[in-house]
Amino acid sequence: MKKMIEVKNLKKSFGDLQVLKDVSFDISEGEVVAVLGPSGSGKSTMLRCLIDLETIDGGSVLIEGESFFKDGAYAKKKQKKAILDKMGMVFQHFNLFPHMNITENMLCAPLCTKQGSKKELQALCSELLEKVGLSDKKDAMPSQLSGGQKQRVAIARALMRKPDIMLFDEPTSALDPELTKEVLDVIKELSAEKMTMVIVTHEIGFAAEAADKIVFLDEGVVAACGTPDEVLKNSGNERINAFLNKVM
Amino acid sequence: MTGIIGNLIKWTPYMLSGCALTIKLFLIVIVFSLPFGLLLTFLYTGKSKIIGAVVGFYILVMRGTPLLLQIFFVWYGLPFIPKIGKYVTFSDRFTAGCVAYIFNYAAYFAEIFRGGLLSVDKGQFEAAKVLGLSETQTTFKIVLPQMIRISLPAVSNEAIILIKDTALITTLGLYDLLKVTNNIVNTTTNITAFGVAACFYLIMSSVLTVVFNRLEKKYAF
Repeated sequence: MKKMIEVKNLKKSFGDLQVLKDVSFDISEGEVVAVLGPSGSGKSTMLRCLIDLETIDGGSVLIEGESFFKDGAYAKKKQKKAILDKMGMVFQHFNLFPHMNITENMLCAPLCTKQGSKKELQALCSELLEKVGLSDKKDAMPSQLSGGQKQRVAIARALMRKPDIMLFDEPTSALDPELTKEVLDVIKELSAEKMTMVIVTHEIGFAAEAADKIVFLDEGVVAACGTPDEVLKNSGNERINAFLNKVM
Repeated sequence: MTGIIGNLIKWTPYMLSGCALTIKLFLIVIVFSLPFGLLLTFLYTGKSKIIGAVVGFYILVMRGTPLLLQIFFVWYGLPFIPKIGKYVTFSDRFTAGCVAYIFNYAAYFAEIFRGGLLSVDKGQFEAAKVLGLSETQTTFKIVLPQMIRISLPAVSNEAIILIKDTALITTLGLYDLLKVTNNIVNTTTNITAFGVAACFYLIMSSVLTVVFNRLEKKYAF
């Protein structure tokens, strides 16, 4: 199967603090990968390195076979942009643009980057809003939406770019418990459509159910990587068991 | 009593002409100092450290010295600068006054907008980046509308201060509201005109308050 993301010996420090010491894993096409780990283990940093929100210090990152970061250097500007265009990202705090209504939030970037004609984009926008169940909110302002609705819009907004890979940085951590399900349902729907996804999450249950693979990070290294059963049930790893005992 | 009212009616056109000059000064200063201040904000927070330092120094001087001194400097002082003095001299007092106010107020507005810029959530920049927006697009489409909205209450405050600060232009011998009022008081030896002038200032600042409140509502998010 086609490799979508290949991370080898990824390193990242903030000053003297080495957050990612040596992280390696592969993600195949259509795979849903949950990244778990105690807080401070480098999960979010790792995800942010993949989409250029943090600068990588070492190792290599290949996206769909093309090198994004290799031998201490990023790909050339144009290639880097082409790679980044294949990815969408959803944040913990949604990061919708508060001064734009939902439709404007969806259309702003694709119109600015001339991704397609206005008509096409509007059609795609309606289609995606319907998919996340928010067609009736197309003229609403973000402040009028609940957290779960905001996050669904954020997902739809990321999908406007027609990404090959979706990255989720704790998509439900800022939500009330009763609102997490509607967001997780949308993610599951994407999984059913074979979208390649990397999800940093604390929802162990969701990871066990929806992920094809779990990457367990601990203190900047991959402590375990495998199917949910392998990692969650019989890894035999003390740190993982300690973590699971705390959160379950 | 009829004497006072009669006087008031008699002097009203004169006071209104003073008001007109005050309002004219206010509008010119606002129209130029707001965009100038915005430009200063972006230069101050921009990538060039040298430009940033220069703008920082400019703001320090403009905020750290009296506006009245600056007005005097532009009108009375500039012509005395050796060699370049004759090239930077203004032909009339009103223009010189406007320039001094604009340079001064731009510095304050720059700091107000910088406050607004700092209040824009970091996540907004990140969302714009992962959605493929360029830095320029991010600035104009995402950051600017938010920072202006956040800055509105402080801008409103500053605009009200400006309406009252226009009275300083009296010192250049221009016939603004305060100057004509003072002349009336001296001529009539009666202080009623001061009260009327105070009302005029109050009306102008009230109008500003209403305008800015509407703007805040309109751009609320």
